[in-house]
Amino acid sequence: MIRKLYKLVILMAIMFILTSCVGKREIDDLAMVMGVGLDLVENKNGEEEVKVTAQIARPADARGQTGAPSGQTGEPIWSISATDKSIFGAIRKLENLSSRRIFWAHSYVIVINEDLAKNGIKDIIDFFIRNPELRMRTWVTVTPDDASELVSSLTGLEVIPGQSIEGLFKYSDITRAAPRSQMIDLHAAYLSDATQPYVARLKLETNELSNQTPEQGEMYKNVTHAGTGVFKDDKLVGTLSAKETRSLLLFVENIKSGVSIIPCAENEEDVTTFELVHEELKVIPDYKEGTPEFTLKVKTTGKLVETDCAIGFDDDQKIKELESNIEEKFKKDINKVLDKIQQEYGVDILEAGNSFNNKLPSKWKEMRVNWDDHFQDATFHVDITAEIKSGALLIEPTESNKRADE
Amino acid sequence: MKIKITNGMYMALIINMVYAKSIGVTQGSIARDVGSDMWISTIIATVSAMLLILLTVMIIRRMPKADIFDQSKAMLGPWVGKLICLVIFIFFTLSFGPIMVTFVFHLKDFFLPEAPLFLFVFIAVLVGGFAIYFGIEVIARMALIGVFSILLLNGLLILGALEDFDVRELLPVFEFGITKPVIASRHHLADWSIVIMMCLIILPLVDNQKEWGRSSLVGVIFSFIFIVMWPILETGVLTSQVTSQYLIACMQMARSAHLGFFLHRYEMFMIAFFGISILTQIAIALLCGSVALSKLFGLKDFRPLIIPVSLIMGGYGYWVVQSHNHAMDILENSWVSLSLSITLGVVGVVWILGFFLKKKFKSEKG
Repeated sequence: MIRKLYKLVILMAIMFILTSCVGKREIDDLAMVMGVGLDLVENKNGEEEVKVTAQIARPADARGQTGAPSGQTGEPIWSISATDKSIFGAIRKLENLSSRRIFWAHSYVIVINEDLAKNGIKDIIDFFIRNPELRMRTWVTVTPDDASELVSSLTGLEVIPGQSIEGLFKYSDITRAAPRSQMIDLHAAYLSDATQPYVARLKLETNELSNQTPEQGEMYKNVTHAGTGVFKDDKLVGTLSAKETRSLLLFVENIKSGVSIIPCAENEEDVTTFELVHEELKVIPDYKEGTPEFTLKVKTTGKLVETDCAIGFDDDQKIKELESNIEEKFKKDINKVLDKIQQEYGVDILEAGNSFNNKLPSKWKEMRVNWDDHFQDATFHVDITAEIKSGALLIEPTESNKRADE
Repeated sequence: MKIKITNGMYMALIINMVYAKSIGVTQGSIARDVGSDMWISTIIATVSAMLLILLTVMIIRRMPKADIFDQSKAMLGPWVGKLICLVIFIFFTLSFGPIMVTFVFHLKDFFLPEAPLFLFVFIAVLVGGFAIYFGIEVIARMALIGVFSILLLNGLLILGALEDFDVRELLPVFEFGITKPVIASRHHLADWSIVIMMCLIILPLVDNQKEWGRSSLVGVIFSFIFIVMWPILETGVLTSQVTSQYLIACMQMARSAHLGFFLHRYEMFMIAFFGISILTQIAIALLCGSVALSKLFGLKDFRPLIIPVSLIMGGYGYWVVQSHNHAMDILENSWVSLSLSITLGVVGVVWILGFFLKKKFKSEKG
């Protein structure tokens, strides 16, 4: 009897959970956002509002490489925007425009206009880390252009521009023109008491030729990496150029590649190109006379990839000269960036505070409250060792024998 | 024939019982207290748990065929025995709060925000109640599979997180001194208290009595290995500040893991592989609660009490998870103090009284 009663209770109970799939979302009911743009705009009353632009994939026309587009719109993405006082408010307004439920989980990139970033991005960080739908590995960037224009522009080889922008980051360890800034890093840096946030900077550049009218030169815009946006707490306080970013990345990322161009010793108009294959930094913090000191030991190895100079890889003396030229140039570049970050922006985006805390935790406790002030006064000693390990395929210099005969 | 479980199943039960909450919910609480030293607090709590579990084995060995209820009845008489039953039933009812916090918030906050709260609690007690109807052996076998799931989840997480791991985030060690990590270890020790109380009830069912102590220690050590990886990765990948912001820190960790560029987000892996652990917790809490209540009322079988116990525990669990604030308050304050008081109280009192009442064990054995 009791068994029968149990079976009946279980059957009755199962009825409750088999009524439907609670919270289900069908894939053809979703509008997949591939990129988000955030701009600062003024409404009719002169009040500042956030403009949210969503780059949404149009499935019928975004089939990838083998499927032919069937939507016949010619546009693989559908870009829509809405404004409101909060991001969530604007997003809800976007729902009014869309025939499908807007789905944010596949967004590759968040692009923030620099004017908005100067006002503060605390609300943006909060919104994107609070929402379970969004990825923590979404790329976060700032742009001097309109974010709405940037996310609506077709760029790169991929059908979906968001995917192309992600591709830029995928290979950014070769170009080193922008940091690989993801939402998770921005969030951590914003919460940290030792480090200030920085994000990649994107720009629209006219650099694409028309295949029909190549004689007209570059006509179309593409999204490119354009350095770094530097923040103090949540406000953008300045930017570093793509060239300056190369020195910044030494502090914050694992360097796998890079290019440096050095003038030749004999003739300064001729240059040698050095491809960096490995670079490592050891930061040694110290505390002297009331100010923090950092000794930066940089070890760079690379190879000669292009040269106008008459350098054979078997010429030890010339290679040594070249190595010392590289050291000098790198030291100059690093000191320039350090000056800019310390004196102009006054923020620690180099994770120097973290290193200081790890080595001298008791001193850190005294300094953590005003770390940015202490960071401005900190002394950096740069000690670089460059080593050219190969001349790629060549041993001898590429010199014309005719000239040798003369 | 009395049901027996193997020592391997017993170890699997220990691992599953402590894993689900300890890797994320607990680590978030510890991170709020001691930042990047959360892995140190986890070690301190595990060492304390090792001592407690050895004490538990010593207690049950005095009357190897009797659980804590029968032993306290034999030692202190029927009324004190009933009091112990009631206290342990209250303990497991209270434990259903944090268990439901772990189960409900993992699913509701990250997957089904629109689904009604009732559904999660209802499914938990339905599945848990159904499992215990078939007895502990079924749950213990399920726990063995749970260990493999845990291994898979940990392996996948290591693969998905190592690329972004920064060991410097773990430094400096003992940033907040020594006392604070010791105090913060209470959160994890509260997780262990459920295991200790479970052992007081199920240890007589474990087959090889000679190996009880060794099996218990090995269970704790393996649990530690599976768990400690999480605070280390959470600190090295998310940073302790980010971990401390979240109620379910392990899901945030899973959200941040990725294998290459194409396999983002581990939330589904997380739910799939830690599911058995949390279901083991639900089932064992219901089982131990039902056994305690059946001994309180002098019933021979606990099964008639499954539905009433499910209703009481489910009702309490539902009350706890109604709001995040409420849940957090219970989880980090009242649950910790009550669970540790009850566990240390029961284990301590029974252990100490056992020295004075040795004769009663002998007469019972005889």
